[in-house]
Amino acid sequence: MAAMTRVAPTRVAPATPVTRRRVGWARARRYVLPLVGLAVALAFLGPYIVMVLNSLRPSSDVVQTPPTFLPRTWQWSTFGDVLGDERFLNWLKTSLLVATSSTIIVVLVAVPAAYFTARFRFAGRTAFLFLVLITQMFSPTSLVVGLYREFFELNLVNTYLAIILTNSAFNLAFAVWILHGFFSSIPKEVEEAAHLDGCSRFGTLTRIMLPLTMPGVVTAVVFTFIAAWNEYVVALTLMLDDAKKPLTVGITSYVTGYEQHWDQLFAASIIAIIPVVILFAFIEKHLVGGLTAGSIK
Amino acid sequence: MARKLTALIAGAGAAALVLSACGGGSGSGTADKTGDSAKKVTSIKLVAAEYSKDHTAAFWKQFAEKYKAKTGITLDVQVVSWDSIDQQSSTMIQNNNAPDLLNLNVYASYAKDKLLYSADEVLSPAVKADLLDAFVKSGTYQDKMYGMPDLSSARALFYNKDLFTKAGIAAPPKTWDEFEADAKKIQALPGGNIGYAMPLGPEESQGEFSIWTFNNGGDWKTDGKWAINSAKNVETLAFMKKLNTQDKVTQNNPGKTNRAQAFDLFKSGKAGMVVGFSPLAGALDTDKKVNYGVAPMPTKEAGGTPQTFGVTDYLMSFKKPGNQAAIKAFYELYYQPDQVNQFIKDEGFLPVTKTGLAAFASDAKLKVYLDTLPNVHLTPTDDPTWDKVKLAVQQNLGAGVGANGDPQAVLDTLQKTAESGG
Amino acid sequence: MADDPQDAVAEPGRMPVAATASAESSVGSESSVGPASSGGSTPGRRRRTLHGGTSIWVALLWLGPALLLIIGVVVFPAVQLVRAAFSKYSITGLRLGDAGTTNFKNVLNHSSLTTVLANTVIWVVVVVALTVLISLAVAQFLAKDFLGRKVVRWAIIVPWAASLVITAKLFTMIYDYYYGTLNLILSTLHITSGPIDFLGDDRWTMASMILVGIFVSVPFTSYVFVAGLSAIPTDVYEAAKIDGARPWQTYWRITLPLLRPAMVVASVLNIIYVFNSFPIVYTLNDRNPGFLHDTTITFMYKLAFKSAEKDVGMSAAAGIFNVVLILIVVVIYLRTLKWQEQED
Repeated sequence: MAAMTRVAPTRVAPATPVTRRRVGWARARRYVLPLVGLAVALAFLGPYIVMVLNSLRPSSDVVQTPPTFLPRTWQWSTFGDVLGDERFLNWLKTSLLVATSSTIIVVLVAVPAAYFTARFRFAGRTAFLFLVLITQMFSPTSLVVGLYREFFELNLVNTYLAIILTNSAFNLAFAVWILHGFFSSIPKEVEEAAHLDGCSRFGTLTRIMLPLTMPGVVTAVVFTFIAAWNEYVVALTLMLDDAKKPLTVGITSYVTGYEQHWDQLFAASIIAIIPVVILFAFIEKHLVGGLTAGSIK
Repeated sequence: MARKLTALIAGAGAAALVLSACGGGSGSGTADKTGDSAKKVTSIKLVAAEYSKDHTAAFWKQFAEKYKAKTGITLDVQVVSWDSIDQQSSTMIQNNNAPDLLNLNVYASYAKDKLLYSADEVLSPAVKADLLDAFVKSGTYQDKMYGMPDLSSARALFYNKDLFTKAGIAAPPKTWDEFEADAKKIQALPGGNIGYAMPLGPEESQGEFSIWTFNNGGDWKTDGKWAINSAKNVETLAFMKKLNTQDKVTQNNPGKTNRAQAFDLFKSGKAGMVVGFSPLAGALDTDKKVNYGVAPMPTKEAGGTPQTFGVTDYLMSFKKPGNQAAIKAFYELYYQPDQVNQFIKDEGFLPVTKTGLAAFASDAKLKVYLDTLPNVHLTPTDDPTWDKVKLAVQQNLGAGVGANGDPQAVLDTLQKTAESGG
Repeated sequence: MADDPQDAVAEPGRMPVAATASAESSVGSESSVGPASSGGSTPGRRRRTLHGGTSIWVALLWLGPALLLIIGVVVFPAVQLVRAAFSKYSITGLRLGDAGTTNFKNVLNHSSLTTVLANTVIWVVVVVALTVLISLAVAQFLAKDFLGRKVVRWAIIVPWAASLVITAKLFTMIYDYYYGTLNLILSTLHITSGPIDFLGDDRWTMASMILVGIFVSVPFTSYVFVAGLSAIPTDVYEAAKIDGARPWQTYWRITLPLLRPAMVVASVLNIIYVFNSFPIVYTLNDRNPGFLHDTTITFMYKLAFKSAEKDVGMSAAAGIFNVVLILIVVVIYLRTLKWQEQED
């Protein structure tokens, strides 16, 4: 490479064009990177900023032609109205219950399953893992009729249990896959040491392996929570009582063909995003290293 | 032999298959699991469409309380948005778990499938006599009434008085020629105004087309036979296309505009005219931004009688063992003037009973609709084929007014669909 | 290490073939049983079957709950779907009897099928490809340390945290011809002279859909790559620097190959999710009649409830085709990767 002849093997290099470029960049980077960061953040937040502005103006202003970027009349009461609405609070409670329960179940079920498939040889292991992948390929829209039938036979229509189980099963595949990769990547020596110290299989799992695979667990938690929080089709079909509907289904009430409350719809949607962002903020640092650590050796 | 777990998984899958095969057709879902039709149910289920966020759920809640107090039977109400109610009711029926009562905008296919109670079985003669004749007729399939109306709406021409004054138009148009001229005048005004907002998107293109063609003497059926591609209908669609492509007095892309967007343009004060109904009037009154007037639709020729296009939604009841008495009590309570008219008033629609007509007569705003309501002109909801034709219309009609639209061809295709039984 | 059959499963690229081979070969060998075999005095179940693998009952204990959930919630409804595809239904949803293969034939003969298939291919390929490319860049950027990095990381989460239905409704409003924010911005910046009908104009619809598809897929894909990047040891980069490699060369020859497993995970997941994505395509096409811009998933839904056919049986048949299609695509994709790996 041409560069090689110009740069000395040690770090202390004369001010050649390449190193000068590098030094110049190091100085500029302090200012350039945050600016780029701002642009990136705006790119992803942009539409939601529009949503926030739309929740702070009357519904008629949202669909007014010609449009304005800032509200023509500011309306600050919407968030208060939405939070004071008993129907909304019920939906919020349902979403919290369903998402949290599904996440807990997924972790409790996926961890042993992933550990076992990572550590043990057994006939049918491939079948199990492939089954797990295939379940991801079914679109919930096509399964919804069968699900309704099944829960109806079990007399579980309109129960929280039904959608909790459904959300758990839908997200199990991803959790098992992720955790499997993690468990596989932990050297056997770690476990062997634990065994020599007299740990039972289960003890090894909980006290040694789990802490090491925490990023994987955290990843599974985030994915499952978000997926369950935003699930729509199955909840729509199975939950009959208004109070038992999760947020995704409930907020469709704000805009009907005859009456449109865009301001409330968007305010409710923003409130719906907050729990997820809070969850993420708390566990974000464990997430990195979560998603593919198992597959990179 | 080695693949034991694989075998187990396969076996479990097969077991699921067998279980699902066995479970076909059974299951009741109501609190009372019984096949004995003499035993009465203790709860019935209503799937109701959501007209508005604030009123629908609230109305049915108080209704359920009164119903329980009166009959001792629990009324489970599931309120579903209009977008999803087709999917929801289909899912239930596919699983042989139809609700006891369903609130939908069609009923005839369900009657054809022999799923419903007729009025003779569940409606008292007094109540039936009180229903407006036009709605009884539209709810009757093969000489039996299956579709009980829950509320109704009628369309009229809404116009922006300020834009009319600016354009120098003295009065709302009475003929199509006048209409075309007025629309052109408004379109010509500076400020980017739209002459006429025409929604022919998939939500309700059958409604928009109906009101125009009814005022040209056209109709979906003539003498009981489908006549979708009749000369009058083709003339109507061609006129609508002309408004869009030649005169350019409509909003952008009418074939892809739904009712709500057309209304938004009128509420913004941008559209000079739009075909609206009472909920729009309610919204306009709340916003107080547009100075609007309501007039009868223009007819093709001068001197014609304006036709009002009306719509009614239905509350149909499903035959299930032991629920007949409960259903009867439901209709009895629903058609009490204090219930049905309250519901209609809250949602901002029009009455379906003769006593209702009298009760609403005092509202001056509704006069323009109420006068024509007894003679309102509806789509052929009493024909099961209409359920499919309506969907075909929604998916295809809008293309007929586009730049490359061919009104004759579009209506011919729809006629074929109707004739083939859908 | 790369030959360790256990790890083969963690790399999806090698899953179908290598794992099968390892499962077969492990049955007879004792050494491949887990660490328990080397420990002497381990309590716990170590019973072996006659063939040296782990007892089926032990397997069931660990896998049982997962199996139960999956069979209950996915396999059972999937079986229902198959039954429905072979049944005849009335427009109301009432099952009228058996239909043989009529539903499948009707789907294959449907006049819009080729359009829908073409749309699906474009939709999946473009969204996944661009998502991966953009996410690689975003991840690279996020891996650097700078002021405000945390805020940017949180900002990227928002599209992922918001429900797809709401994001789609939001974009429908942003794209609107008359009151849409996008047209407002474009005309304020004098980029366009008049409004563009992003959703109604057939030339723009697919692009508008694709933008939203990428927008909601980039967040989680970026995080997959951030994780992948953080797993690369820094001495690799230092060695490259010493050798005088320029940034682009480092990226191309070192980073990307090491990110390969992450890219496989990301692209397989994205292919499945984007293919099955319903709310975006459906909501953005809410005002568009017909099937002109539908993908196979919305096509399947509309066949059941919104189209003139209104046939639940036909929709189920389309659903089966969908699963078979995505299965074939994923298997082919994984096999191609494995083949490419062997070529290197």
